[in-house]
Amino acid sequence: MTNDLKNISMRDVFWNKVYELARKDSNIVVVSADMGAPALDKFRKDLGSQFVNVGIAEQNAVLLSAGLALERKKVFVYAIAPFITLRCYEQTRVNLAGMNLAVTLVGVGAGFGYDDSGPTHHALEDLSIMRILPNLTVNNITDSQMAAAFADISYRMKSPNYVRLAREALPNVYQEGDDFSKGLTVLKEGKDICIVATGNMVHRALEVAEDLKKYNVTAKVIDLYTFPINEKMFLEAIEDAQKIVTIEEHTLPGGMGGAVAEVLADNQKFIPLKRIGLDLRKGYCYKYGGRESIRSLLGLDKDSIVKAILDLKQ
Amino acid sequence: MSDRIEKLKQKANYIRNQVLDMCAKAGTGHVNSSFSCVEIIVALYYGGILRFDPRNPKWRDRDRFVLSKGQSSPLLYAILADLGFFPEDELNRFNQADGIFAVHLQHDVPGVEITSGSLGHGFGIAAGMALAAKMNRDLPMVFTLLGDGECYEGSIWETAMFASHNRLNNLIAIVDRNHLCATDFTENIVALEPMDEKWQACGWRAININGHSFEEILAALEGFRSRKSTQPLVIIADTRKGKGVEFLSDAPLWHSLAPKGQEAIEAKEELNEKEND
Repeated sequence: MTNDLKNISMRDVFWNKVYELARKDSNIVVVSADMGAPALDKFRKDLGSQFVNVGIAEQNAVLLSAGLALERKKVFVYAIAPFITLRCYEQTRVNLAGMNLAVTLVGVGAGFGYDDSGPTHHALEDLSIMRILPNLTVNNITDSQMAAAFADISYRMKSPNYVRLAREALPNVYQEGDDFSKGLTVLKEGKDICIVATGNMVHRALEVAEDLKKYNVTAKVIDLYTFPINEKMFLEAIEDAQKIVTIEEHTLPGGMGGAVAEVLADNQKFIPLKRIGLDLRKGYCYKYGGRESIRSLLGLDKDSIVKAILDLKQ
Repeated sequence: MSDRIEKLKQKANYIRNQVLDMCAKAGTGHVNSSFSCVEIIVALYYGGILRFDPRNPKWRDRDRFVLSKGQSSPLLYAILADLGFFPEDELNRFNQADGIFAVHLQHDVPGVEITSGSLGHGFGIAAGMALAAKMNRDLPMVFTLLGDGECYEGSIWETAMFASHNRLNNLIAIVDRNHLCATDFTENIVALEPMDEKWQACGWRAININGHSFEEILAALEGFRSRKSTQPLVIIADTRKGKGVEFLSDAPLWHSLAPKGQEAIEAKEELNEKEND
């Protein structure tokens, strides 16, 4: 693993990769619900017949994609994360999941990505609701390398898939050629605490692990990106864990920590578990001032997480 | 009356009997919603409109028929069985543990294109199929049958605008305008009229017909494969829910019920009297 800090938006990396694939395969169609990206401008210009903009109409976007997929098109549908998951949930449930159609929903703005836009644009429930659908896989992307890999993986998938992208550019944790087939990656070894993080919070988990060293606490860090969880790989990864802390920029009910709790319970692994995420008892966040300001209010800043872990240790 | 029309009428009556039998036996199924569109679907399958091959249900060049109002599935199942897509005996297993289908439409039944039951979905899927055919420069036509109550769903109008903007003239929508939802007449719930003007405003060519007249259905579809217009076509078929059996007709309370016992016997008698008229 490297921690090369090149800031490339995962959205552009993803769409650049889809563009490359679509140049070779005219069966690829991108359906956009009035969403753009510099990489998509190029797609629209060069491959206009494979690009469909439906306007602000996510229900129709998913329905069209189902019809296209039934006719053997390889479809990518693109919108802001809460809109492509919540607004058209039933269209996805009945058609993409129910008929097991190879459509990739691409949502941008995981968590508080659209921090300045307020709660309408925050994606805080999408992992909960998408991971419970039959046949559908959720891939929560950590960095640009992973985004490029999942453009390719999505293209080859024979079932529906939700790719959850961050809006912001994040440092690269992975390198080209890394294997994502296990659905999770152990990024750091440590024996005192096992931190499981997903998406943008993987970067926070790595910072927290570094900080914990000051307190003589070594932390294992697992990046969990594919849902449903690959149970065999997950159980192997947490085999020696004394305590587990999950960190996500997502609601606690049904989120990644909830998915971890399900796997632990189903496998009679009685390991103490602390879930850190958005506590719904505090409600939606109508506060502004930037991403880190919001995270501090909700206990997702580095210091609060370090403190929560140290409290757990005692 | 021409022989062709007479044969279609006989087929419609036979299919109504089949629907009634399968639903009465199973004790469930939307008989009323099926009876309103019998002539429409019979015209498509037996009137030389749709291209299909029961021995090869996924034949690539088939025309697509997307039943968006999935509650009329008993009707489509009875027709597909009659045409030989699957053994007719399956109709006796409607909603049974060893059967392959029940009240709403299921995509894995031979001859069926999509799963349908939640309304406002099939139309958009049909548009996606029509778009794919345009992209591939393929010739199949895509037909879809909507319920009028289904047109309350906002997604219908998202798709309607999209289809005309993208000139999907290979897409033909038929609205089963039976004037009833589950609880009341549409004009009492939230008025749908003027229905044709709504479609026209979305860029469609709209035709109003009597949906129980084979002559009018076939006339509306005259030359449908070689239409010059780039507009998609909607046929608003005025129908009667429960058509064929008087006590079922225009009766909101029968929406999701199947006649049983003596009621089923009376309904059968009425259908058979009509055939003998």
